[in-house]
Amino acid sequence: MNETLVQEALVSTQWVAERLGDSDIRIIESNEDVLLYDTGHLPNAVHIDWRADLQDDPIRDYISPKAFAELCGKNGIGKDTLCVFYGDKSNWWAAYALWAFQLFGHTNVKLMNGGREKWIAEGRELTRERPEITPTSYPIPEKRLDDEVRAFYQDTLEHSQGSKPLIDVRSPGEFKGEVTHMPEYPQEGVLRGGHVPGAKSVPWKTAVNDDGTFKSIDELRDIYEGQCGLQKTDDVIVYCRIGERSSHTWFVLKYLLGYENVRNYDGSWTEWGNMVRSPIEKGE
Amino acid sequence: MSYPSKLQGIIDLFESLPDSGKRENLIAFSDGARRWEPQEGELFDLEDVRKDEECTDTVGVFLKVDELGACYFKITLGPQVQTLTKAMTTVLCKGLEGVPPQEILDLPSDFVPKIVGAELVRQRSQTTYYILTRMKSSVKVFLNRQRARQVEQ
Repeated sequence: MNETLVQEALVSTQWVAERLGDSDIRIIESNEDVLLYDTGHLPNAVHIDWRADLQDDPIRDYISPKAFAELCGKNGIGKDTLCVFYGDKSNWWAAYALWAFQLFGHTNVKLMNGGREKWIAEGRELTRERPEITPTSYPIPEKRLDDEVRAFYQDTLEHSQGSKPLIDVRSPGEFKGEVTHMPEYPQEGVLRGGHVPGAKSVPWKTAVNDDGTFKSIDELRDIYEGQCGLQKTDDVIVYCRIGERSSHTWFVLKYLLGYENVRNYDGSWTEWGNMVRSPIEKGE
Repeated sequence: MSYPSKLQGIIDLFESLPDSGKRENLIAFSDGARRWEPQEGELFDLEDVRKDEECTDTVGVFLKVDELGACYFKITLGPQVQTLTKAMTTVLCKGLEGVPPQEILDLPSDFVPKIVGAELVRQRSQTTYYILTRMKSSVKVFLNRQRARQVEQ
């Protein structure tokens, strides 16, 4: 992998292991399994729940800048703290939380390559002890940067109608409309199967090795540019079912391949597939 | 509604706890899930091992019904099974020990939120109800087979 890029965005399990007690770094676990952190986590890691901590459920939106400042404050995160994210499921939710931090302009972030599974596979220490946190006073961000890192339904519709790059990162069966959820999960939450017209299918999994680590920069470039035809200057929107798998691909494009204009459509297929009068395509 | 006594004891314990205590106990119950795996050479009246869409990995339900008609469950869980499913495995294997088949079939699922808490049920409803559904399914198959044998005789 290109070492410069890796140093900027990705850190290894060894890198994290050497910095577990560093007060300038906050290690953050985010998982699909909501109780997993409590069964054991990296020493000094805090837990951010993608749903309970980052979502404003009554309006299906993200938390306000004030709530974000409170969340950071109680977890001992300052404006300049380096936040290192990791989690289960090849870092889906870790990438999602990292992406959500971008909404509030907290860009001093990294992802631990391979996530929780790799840390455990290497026999590294887990603890159930919650870290002692000294709360910080995190300045309330002026606004949420929705326009820069987030795409909404209308943005995605205009991309579709304008034949701009749209990447569907779900499984091939979901893209074709044969199923409405990823394999191994209940087929629930959306009325129609298929994809946004004009979207190209590049499942998130094509970006990772069997152990959940990211493929090399050359391999990633071949996947997204050689095979999919993206260019670094493109204005790209990525989506999945609810925005977590596409956060993973967003991270690849933004941080590993250096794309400037890439946004995550967090409404994703649960919004598009259910929306009255939204056009869909089925099949390849 | 009264529940089987052992299950009622677990419900009472969780209902007395704040949310943080519920979580701690769910973790403790999930830690205990392996104790409910079948022992080497153990025999059962019904074995049902499968992977469903409702769960992220394979779950095996092993049912033994003794001569007095009391049910005893053992359960195997694949490595990808979520923590809540592991916790509910212990809750249900322990709570339904020695309960008659029909009582298990009639058991309402409204005790689940009392144990897990409404918030986690809302987030993970499939996971929290899955093990109970599988246990009931095993009991139903057992009773159907028993009835079929009685008709044959």
